[in-house]
Amino acid sequence: MNVEFAALALILVFPALGVLFNTFLGPRLGRRAVNVVGPGMMFLSFTVATWAFITIFTLPAGSALYCPLWRWIEAGSFHVELGLRVDALSGVMIMIVTGVGSFIHLYSVGYMAHDEDYARFFTYMNLFALSMLILVLADNLVMMFVGWEGVGLCSYLLIAFWYTNPQFAYNGRKAFIVNRIGDAGFLLGIFTILSALAHHGVWTLNFTEMQAHASLLEGTAATAAGLLLFLGATGKSAQIPLYVWLPDAMVGPTPVSALIHAATMVTAGVYMVARLNFLYMLAPDAMMVVATIGALTAFFAGTVAIVQPDIKRVLAYSTVSQLGYMFLGVGSGAFAAGIFHVMTHAFFKGLLFLCAGSVIHSLEGEQDMNKMGALRKHLPITFWTMLIATLAITAVPGFSGYFSKDLILEGAYESGHFWLWLLGAITAGITGFYMFRLIFMTFFGESRVEPDKLHHIHESPAVMTIPLIVLAVLATVGGWVGLPDGLLWGDAFARFLSPVVGNFKPAVAASPAMLSAVATGLGGLGILLAYVFYLRLPGLPMILAWRLKGLYDLLLEKYRIDELYNLIVTRPLFFISNQILNRGVDQFVIDGAANGAGIAVEAGGEMARRSETGNVQHYAFVYLIGVVAIVSYYVYLVIH
Amino acid sequence: MGSGLLTAVIFFPLFGAIFVLMLRDERAAWNSAFIFSLVPLALSFYLFAAFDSHEAGYQFVEQYPWIPQFGISYHLGVDGISLLLVLLTTILISLSLLYSAGGDIEKRPREFCFFLLALETGLLGALLSVDVFLFYVFWEVMLIPMYFLIGIWGHGRKVYAAVKFVLFTMLGSFLMLVAIIYLVAAAKQSFGRLSFDLPLLYQVPLSETQARWLFAAFALAFAIKVPMWPVHTWLPDAHTEAPTAGSVILAGIMLKMGTYGFLRFAIPLFPAVAVEAVPLFLALAVIGIIYGALVAMSQPDLKRLIAYSSVSHLGFVMLGIFALNPQGIDGAIYQMLNHGISTGALFLLVGMLYLRRHTREISEFGGLWKSVPIYASIFMFAMLSSAGLPGLNGFVGEFLIMAGTYLRSWPAAAFAVSGIVLGALYLFWTYERVMFGPITHAVNATIRDLTGREIAVLVPLMALMLFMGLYPAPLISRLHPSVEKMLEGVRIEQVRLEREHHRDALAQTIAPAPKIGVQTASVK
Amino acid sequence: MSPFNLAAINFAWLPILPLIAVAIGAIVVLLAGVRVDDDESEGLGWLSLATVAVAFVLALGIVGQTGVAFAGAISVDGFSAFFELVILIAAAFTILMSLDYAGENHLAGAEYYSLLLFSALGMMLMAAAGDLIVLFLGLETMSIAVYVLVGLRRRDPRSNEAAIKYFLLGAFSTGFLLYGIALIYGATGTIKLAPIHAALAGPMLSNPLLLLGLAMMLVGFGFKVAAVPFHMWTPDVYEGAPTPITAFMAVGVKLGAFAGFVRIFLVNFGPASIQWSEVLWVVAAITMTTGNLIAVVQTNIKRMLAYSAIAHAGYILVGMSVATPEAGAAVLYYLLAYAFTNLGAFAIVVALERRGTAGDLIADYRGISTRSPALAAAMTLFLLSLAGIPPLAGFMGKFYIFSAALRQGYVGLVIIAVLNAVIAAYYYISVIVAMYMEEGGANEASMARKPALVAAIGLAAIATVLIGIYPAPYLTAASNAYNSALGEQAMHAAALNQ
Repeated sequence: MNVEFAALALILVFPALGVLFNTFLGPRLGRRAVNVVGPGMMFLSFTVATWAFITIFTLPAGSALYCPLWRWIEAGSFHVELGLRVDALSGVMIMIVTGVGSFIHLYSVGYMAHDEDYARFFTYMNLFALSMLILVLADNLVMMFVGWEGVGLCSYLLIAFWYTNPQFAYNGRKAFIVNRIGDAGFLLGIFTILSALAHHGVWTLNFTEMQAHASLLEGTAATAAGLLLFLGATGKSAQIPLYVWLPDAMVGPTPVSALIHAATMVTAGVYMVARLNFLYMLAPDAMMVVATIGALTAFFAGTVAIVQPDIKRVLAYSTVSQLGYMFLGVGSGAFAAGIFHVMTHAFFKGLLFLCAGSVIHSLEGEQDMNKMGALRKHLPITFWTMLIATLAITAVPGFSGYFSKDLILEGAYESGHFWLWLLGAITAGITGFYMFRLIFMTFFGESRVEPDKLHHIHESPAVMTIPLIVLAVLATVGGWVGLPDGLLWGDAFARFLSPVVGNFKPAVAASPAMLSAVATGLGGLGILLAYVFYLRLPGLPMILAWRLKGLYDLLLEKYRIDELYNLIVTRPLFFISNQILNRGVDQFVIDGAANGAGIAVEAGGEMARRSETGNVQHYAFVYLIGVVAIVSYYVYLVIH
Repeated sequence: MGSGLLTAVIFFPLFGAIFVLMLRDERAAWNSAFIFSLVPLALSFYLFAAFDSHEAGYQFVEQYPWIPQFGISYHLGVDGISLLLVLLTTILISLSLLYSAGGDIEKRPREFCFFLLALETGLLGALLSVDVFLFYVFWEVMLIPMYFLIGIWGHGRKVYAAVKFVLFTMLGSFLMLVAIIYLVAAAKQSFGRLSFDLPLLYQVPLSETQARWLFAAFALAFAIKVPMWPVHTWLPDAHTEAPTAGSVILAGIMLKMGTYGFLRFAIPLFPAVAVEAVPLFLALAVIGIIYGALVAMSQPDLKRLIAYSSVSHLGFVMLGIFALNPQGIDGAIYQMLNHGISTGALFLLVGMLYLRRHTREISEFGGLWKSVPIYASIFMFAMLSSAGLPGLNGFVGEFLIMAGTYLRSWPAAAFAVSGIVLGALYLFWTYERVMFGPITHAVNATIRDLTGREIAVLVPLMALMLFMGLYPAPLISRLHPSVEKMLEGVRIEQVRLEREHHRDALAQTIAPAPKIGVQTASVK
Repeated sequence: MSPFNLAAINFAWLPILPLIAVAIGAIVVLLAGVRVDDDESEGLGWLSLATVAVAFVLALGIVGQTGVAFAGAISVDGFSAFFELVILIAAAFTILMSLDYAGENHLAGAEYYSLLLFSALGMMLMAAAGDLIVLFLGLETMSIAVYVLVGLRRRDPRSNEAAIKYFLLGAFSTGFLLYGIALIYGATGTIKLAPIHAALAGPMLSNPLLLLGLAMMLVGFGFKVAAVPFHMWTPDVYEGAPTPITAFMAVGVKLGAFAGFVRIFLVNFGPASIQWSEVLWVVAAITMTTGNLIAVVQTNIKRMLAYSAIAHAGYILVGMSVATPEAGAAVLYYLLAYAFTNLGAFAIVVALERRGTAGDLIADYRGISTRSPALAAAMTLFLLSLAGIPPLAGFMGKFYIFSAALRQGYVGLVIIAVLNAVIAAYYYISVIVAMYMEEGGANEASMARKPALVAAIGLAAIATVLIGIYPAPYLTAASNAYNSALGEQAMHAAALNQ
């Protein structure tokens, strides 16, 4: 049952107001005003979102709130109506975006306390929230694409926030361009669906209408569309092959990394696949690709995270890895599980970044874990919250990550992707290892902090710690909405989503307990190894690194993928652009031809002018040639 | 016949031009020129409001005999295809005048205003003519003022650029003139009377060869104006050397005359050939998109870069036009407006920068955001519009174009999509080099931010970008009926073509039959 | 018939009254000028202007009349009226340009103006010729007067050289023309145009004598209209001659020559057009191309305009080659438009000239737009008209000729013509470049004290715009003029057949 719910518009209006305020008045009214309005608007948006969510909850299952806006694009039979729609799926998403978003905004007040560009910062943050909410609330593909590109832009703006550093600016652009490559695929995906439906006289890109006519998409159209849209997802959600921008995105302010590059934006791809589940269900091949890419990315990114010295880089690659899990989930058909992990991940990964931020903040921007250690007594709250988050991400039973990750792996196994499941399980172990490596290197052992920084290490202010605590709570209990079946309320989360994403239909029977035991066991193993490596025998890592230098360097240099892309894409592109096209074709060939014609004319004139000797005999001679020519023509006429 | 409204729109600027020429005081000249440009602006807004969006044909028609011997009449009319371009023209001319008065043009302001206003008359006339001869007259007339604008107030190799511009265009338009005359001659043979009236000429029956040659002549003239690859090389020179206002009008409106020509003449006059030529033009358009973007990427000069970006953007427009379906063409027309607005804004911004630093070399800049935040923000806005960011005008056009193209031929769309990636690449890379990073040249730290006048020039454009991005309906609804009307002829041809293919297919399947007959004969 | 038959007298003399007026005027000027000092020849100028005015009025009188006078020696029709009027206008403009010029350059006023009138007389006679002898008479009257005029700047060797060259080659071509006339007489047994026209219909077409005659006359006219390859004299002569005379040659002589050319070939040899239109096709193509190509590399404006004149002769020959009534009318209209435009352009050259021929270089035109904007604007107008930019007279001319040609399927020739037009645009524009886009240049004489010249320029400018924007009446005039000539022939043919 669908209920019109005009208030949905408010969810967008508040951040929009925030943008306007921070752009035009922020710089004038000063920091206090911005600090109130920036987060304030998010909290307002959060309240409305909660209101909407509760309304959904109270309505019978499968119902949705909608709020039509206006007819946007119209060309002949093709038209796009702008409209907002909140069902179980988007309900969960807006809760994550506004909820986590609000607290990260709040945290930013403290984090950006010393930055004079605070107004611009909150403008971008609000703008991001706006775009993300458009993406989530959209009731059709085109409007979703509006948000889809919007978040990309904000990500660019925020990565390059400290623009005076050319490297940061470069990373920002890299993020945007890589995303645009994905977006190009997304667009083509949209067009594929459009034309497939239009062939049957159905002109719509509205989700519900598309679902109603899904049968028309059967076959190649569905597969092509699914793959193209997924290309978009690999860009936005940092999957192979387009993940390369995310690790570099960490140069942005840490709240940005937490909100955009961990909690919300990067999960857009997962949301999109879940939203279009009806399409993907028609395209098993596409699903297979999604799942495989997901698993591979999860494993691949995990291995890279093992050796990174930079605390944020570790988290970045862990994010990539976790996103891989989510795609493994949705790719296996366990859409609810994927979204479930999106939620828990938002809690614990957001928290992890905020903690990392708190650490970095206290060390005046130090990010190298080799220059940390033994911080737990200096930063108690940060330590405890971060520990909780780590337990959650390593899927220690009881913590939120445990439930979601288990469901994903279970889904992968039961959908018959044994190898992918195995990859996922191993990754669970790797996760345990690198996460606890991070904890141990940061908070335990002896301090390696540079002396000059040592004496004024301090716990962050309340405005920063409160969000930590809130998220810590969520990271703990957030998973309890999806307990194993039969236990208490069971998997309430999946039941809640099922009207939208359908129920998971296992292809292979398996005992969930067994599977989770394996994964958890591997996780524990990872933790144990980390303990051995970094607390028991601190020398060991060095030796190993030295023994397996090749492997170690390969991991440290992230498999040199960036270099590879540089070699096969970037450099050739610029070479073609400048040397071949600009210099060669444009200036030499084409313009050469044009100017050549002109030169030819002048040369012709010059030659002809030579005949003008000024000598009358010559004139008479030319004259006679003419006479002879004409006369001979007539003689010819006479003869014939 | 007719309200005389269109005549007023066309010739008011000309009167203004002559009036300005007679003034002594320069300030007065600037002001009165601006005021004179506001009148057609107001009138065209009235046109827009009073325009009947359900009527596909010409509105506000005026027709009087002019040269009866040749059946030439002074026949004006506006329909959905020209309406918005008229509006764009009047807007951009006024803004250009407003901007140029702010110090961009120092020498000979009176003549500058004269030529700019005369140019407006030419542009509006070409857009509003229904009589082909009249159109041709205005088409040529608009050439001369632009030539002077580039040649007198330009920079660098201005004369080379100006002459190149004129000769390139003339080559095309003289051949078009021949085609027009030939077409009219053909019309006389079938209708027994001379007439340059477009609606009549649409009906002229032509042999296949005739149609092909005539289409070629028209297409060449328009392709040069657009400009399509590979006849585009006049554009970077003209754009780069022209004064800011010149570049704005050149990119903003004049290029559209080419695309407009395709929509108004080349395609509806010779639909059969147009349908045949679709693959060729889709290919050229795609090449233009990618080529323009790639070449733009490696330009060291800001204006040159934007000039090549125009080649890329106009490639999109051509793509949409030769999708030959409502989506593509609606999008193409919409994209003409977008390009006029966003590229116009970019040229203005570069001009403002040039005014402060007297260079356009990208390498001369860097870290500008620190010294001129407002400038940088507006530049970002215009850039995003040009890059087709959803929510701004550029996206609506590009989306429709690519949707239309996909429906016509998905490979073309697939290639074209790479244009949006490359577009983002060169724009953002440029932005990064100019605005981001540390301030490398000390001078850049001290340049002043935008003046009130400059902001006043840019704000309307930004407002348009936003409005047209969020609420395109009122514009598209006005242009759509005319597009449908224009496509009627094309549809008929397509049906015919498909039938023929079908027949050929049948013929092939039937072909073996006689052979069998022979065999049986031999058996006997 | 008895000489006392008033009607007969009226009709016999009426058609040549303009000619008589000009002749008398010329003699009066000559006599009146005996005692006049070279520097004060202005009065003579006004006198001759008055003569032209009178002749103009008289010429208006014969508009609309048709018939023959003096036993067919003189054709009376719209055609002759049209040309006589345009020729008189050209003469008037030339005189306006000369009023100051002649004095400044110490040209012998009496000779100057009377020869000017005599040459005009010759041109008018060619236009009105009813038989080949009268035609020849007119041609010679015109030519000999012009030979002298060219050399009238006695102290300037270039002027003398020009005169000699023109005279030598002129004599040369006169010979050809005369020989052609003789041959045609031999072939047809008559020198009267009407009978010739009648005779051409039939087996005569392939008569060798006739064909040879055609060839010779083509050569003769080709020289007078400066068609390639009989054009070599043009630049030298145009450069050397006193500038107003150059203008008069570029316009007047062309008008006269084409008047004859059109009347003989288009109108009277019309039936034989298959025998000469191909030749003209080729000549037209070569003439256009050569003229434009060489004009591109000129540095002297008078030489440039000379080559441009050659090129324009080429365009007109396109019309003649088409040889349809429409084409004939187009040629007439083209000549009209071309006359005003070219007179205007030369008037500017006169205005910008200082003593002698200084200031004739295109380089001297640099920066004029800032020093005397009005002049620059006018010159731009004329150049654009010559380049064929709408809505100016020159464009309508080209348009008319091209449409006539395309109507007959002359696609190839028209394509050549438009490609030429692009080249032409280049060199016309280069003058505009100099005037508007380059700095420096010499200081030219102020126009303040030259009202006559200003008037000439102004009138030419107005005409150039008007004939372009509102061509309808002039188109009608041209086609009426041509058709009346045709009609007359038809009438005579009918008469002879009875």
